[in-house]
Amino acid sequence: MSYDDVEIEDMEWNEELQAYTYPCPCGDLFQITKEDLKLGEEIARCPSCSLYITVIYNAEDFLADQNSKQNHQPPKQQQAVTVA
Amino acid sequence: MEEEERRNEAHEKKKEEKAFKQRIWSWGAGTDGQLSTGTLQDHILPQLLHHPSLSSAAISSLACGGAHVIALTSAGKVLTWGRGNSGQLGQGELTNHVLYPKPVTSLDSFFITHVSAGWSHSGFVSDNGCLFTCGDGSFGQLGHGDYISHCSPLKVSYFVNRLVAQIACGMRHSLVLLKDSSMNQVYGFGFGKRGQLGISKEKLKSVNIPEVLSGFEDKEIVEIAANGDHSAAVSVDGHLYTWGRGFKGCSDAHSPQLLNSSLSFTKATLGWNHALALTGEGEGFMVGGNHLGVLTDPKNLNPAKQPSENLRETNMEKVPGLDGIKISDIAAGAEHSALVTENREIKTWGWGEHGQLGLGDTSDQMSPHTVSLGCELNETESIRIFCGSGFTFALTMHSNPSQH
Repeated sequence: MSYDDVEIEDMEWNEELQAYTYPCPCGDLFQITKEDLKLGEEIARCPSCSLYITVIYNAEDFLADQNSKQNHQPPKQQQAVTVA
Repeated sequence: MEEEERRNEAHEKKKEEKAFKQRIWSWGAGTDGQLSTGTLQDHILPQLLHHPSLSSAAISSLACGGAHVIALTSAGKVLTWGRGNSGQLGQGELTNHVLYPKPVTSLDSFFITHVSAGWSHSGFVSDNGCLFTCGDGSFGQLGHGDYISHCSPLKVSYFVNRLVAQIACGMRHSLVLLKDSSMNQVYGFGFGKRGQLGISKEKLKSVNIPEVLSGFEDKEIVEIAANGDHSAAVSVDGHLYTWGRGFKGCSDAHSPQLLNSSLSFTKATLGWNHALALTGEGEGFMVGGNHLGVLTDPKNLNPAKQPSENLRETNMEKVPGLDGIKISDIAAGAEHSALVTENREIKTWGWGEHGQLGLGDTSDQMSPHTVSLGCELNETESIRIFCGSGFTFALTMHSNPSQH
């Protein structure tokens, strides 16, 4: 059972762990990597206990990175084109 | 001759021990050294602490945060230990774990009277009403007008001409209570998305300069509390106010909400999904949670949204299983609770995965269970209890009415 639902914007990027984190009630941090998010994973786990949270995010925000590398235009640019 | 000296020394030491004669136990999550046992291990039973820095000073109070602890001595000095990777220990450096109590020397020229530990930040109040903060500042929770973290306590200049009485540090926010003002008594700063700052009806992300709360204009607030995304205050006439993240399916409250109750409260303490309150009659009440928060009662996980006014009252339950025995102290961890009875018994309940209940296992408990400290307590000893996110501390001292 998910402990809580947390929006990605309320999570913090942790350089050392290379993961988005959010405080776990045990004292450790719930963690999820960018790779997980790209794969559509929405569960952030705590390495110290059995709890986990559901991360609320827009999968496209994380796919955009990958897509742009493949010369695929991210949604924002597309919008700019239509306006122009 | 040497022997005599040694005997004298031993005698002196004994006298010293007698003078303070206090004992401190810790249990629960120890992953960051927060138990002060010298290891990074969890403990499922109370550990009596022996470190010299704890026995050589009279500890008058403790504040337990996400994974760090602040001890205040009766001489106004401060010791800290546990996780220090955001500067929350105030020792002038970022450290992963500090296993034993270490003095915060930069506050040595002040007499500290009040301390609070949040998830990863800390607050200190001096006898002349100055406020100092350190640790994680990325949500503005240090109140310095920026989002910078500090590893040494820094005076909050906003309050430089005011007298600060208390600070309460939550997960990512802080509350401050002044003692010189009846109009603008309570301030909030830091993360405010769930309404925990109580300063605006609008949804706001965070505030890095203290802002005054409205709603307390004709009330005298005597105590403030913060934990998780919750905030609370108790008035001199025993009213309890809560704001921030809603309890058990209630909507978030962006300004202080009076708990609809005829009871007179003297103390409030907050978890991440529940509040515990103590009445002047020594009765304990719980708001939100379901005896232990949402962890073991799935039906509370996705509650239908209901009008908050209705729930605010029906949500409150008397702490069960005490058979009329009065409570002298209460504390709330993120997902566990602890109390001390008038018979000097410690009882705990809630989430137990890290041993934070001190009952010798890692089970959850729906109602208060007695913790064995492994020794008899003297009749002149009083006990106080303190909870961090996933751990618990008990502090005994000789009863002295002048020392609270």
